[in-house]
Amino acid sequence: MNQVFSIYVPGHSLMHRTPVWLKYVLMLGIMFSSIIVMQWWYSVLCLAVSMLLVLATGVGPRMGFKLSWGVYLMAGLLLAFQLFLGRPEIAVAVSVNIFAAIYASRMLTISTPESTLIDALVSGCRVLKPLGVNPETVGLAIGIMLKSIPMLMDTVGIMRQAAKARGMQSNYIMIMTPVVVRAVGYAQETGAALAARGLAE
Amino acid sequence: MISFRDVSVQVEVPVAGEPPKVKTLLSGVNLDLAERRVSIIGPNGSGKSTLLRLMNGLVEPASGQVLVEGVDTKKTKKVRKLVGFVFPDSLSQLLLSTPLDDVQLSLKAVIKDKNERRPKAMELLESRGLGHVAEQSIYDLSGGERQLAALTSILALEPKVVVADEPTTALDLKNRYIVNKVFDELEQQVIYATHDMEWAERADYTLVVSGGRIVASGNPADCVAFYKDLVFR
Ligand SMILES: Nc1ncnc2c1ncn2[C@@H]1O[C@H](COP(=O)(O)OP(=O)(O)OP(=O)(O)O)[C@@H](O)[C@H]1O
Ligand SMILES: [Mg+2]
Repeated sequence: MNQVFSIYVPGHSLMHRTPVWLKYVLMLGIMFSSIIVMQWWYSVLCLAVSMLLVLATGVGPRMGFKLSWGVYLMAGLLLAFQLFLGRPEIAVAVSVNIFAAIYASRMLTISTPESTLIDALVSGCRVLKPLGVNPETVGLAIGIMLKSIPMLMDTVGIMRQAAKARGMQSNYIMIMTPVVVRAVGYAQETGAALAARGLAE
Repeated sequence: MISFRDVSVQVEVPVAGEPPKVKTLLSGVNLDLAERRVSIIGPNGSGKSTLLRLMNGLVEPASGQVLVEGVDTKKTKKVRKLVGFVFPDSLSQLLLSTPLDDVQLSLKAVIKDKNERRPKAMELLESRGLGHVAEQSIYDLSGGERQLAALTSILALEPKVVVADEPTTALDLKNRYIVNKVFDELEQQVIYATHDMEWAERADYTLVVSGGRIVASGNPADCVAFYKDLVFR
């Protein structure tokens, strides 16, 4: 569970030493340019580059390239959809883009501590200040979100097991209600924790 | 000093097709707590958490007044600077993914210079023996380490009073011992709710809550005996 989300791996690799803004630029550059160009050969190039960037973090291919089945499923569905529309070249480009985007973001998250990621984002948000956006609040919100993901995933796991323990098939629809109830409770507790620390004002 | 003046707490419970029902969670509370260690005991659902949450402005009284060091808890901003609140579940209490990040977040209120916060946070965590886990995910910590990390975050705000709602309930024997000891050694006034009767007895003063009322208060050993009598009678 935790390996999926808290993915920062401490180290001194090339990517670890690269400034965080440059890593953001690389990641966003790969993501957006591959969508704009939308050519299969360009997507393959982006994928190759992003995989090299992952390797440059020094984690090795096994951990660096591992993906959950959901990603393959999503890429497969998009591929099938575009093929169905009779656009094989776009089909390849779209599905390859997904892998390129995931590896590009992985390069960033493996080589950068969460706090650095958020600080950089907060600095980036400064340009939005005249629009009434408080960068600090944005950073805190993102931080709490990142922290909450494993918690909610865990709730799903607990509920599935609770269903199984009662001899019920664990299907996602059925455990939805208790998971939502728990999530709401958790959100209330988080609100109280924020307030108690004087961070809600 | 924490004072309750004729405090009651009520909530509206929605009822289908009818106007909401008023439920009284706490009533007729009059207290002056000056002792350094105050323990609160009582059955599940008796109102302990409600009583504690009043002290930090997390719950508002329906009538009466709660004062902490002379500050009305309606002034939430002021009172939350005075009172550090420790929740039973440290995973909800910790807002960010690592102890170091979380303590730094607290330090924002007291240290303006960003570059000073990190070393200070590290220093605070090390002083609690958490230096080696400072940058680990909070999900990978033991329950005891987590509760100590949460406490470190709260103490970073330099509160005058620490209010703790069952801070050791989720812990095993050893971690409970460790966390209890940390609380016992704090220089602040500490008000804590617990189901651990041994710890409750170590306080200077005890409150027994039952059915939304304070049914006994005073000497800890007497209060624990009273509570046991209440339950096993
Ligand atoms: N917001 C609310 N709405 C309705 N009822 C509430 C609300 N908050 C608390 N209660 C009820 O008030 C009563 C007292 O709750 P409280 O959490 O203070 O008990 P407690 O003594 O802390 O119990 P425990 O030992 O289980 O933690 C309970 O019956 C609870 O269900
Ligand atoms: Mg409680």
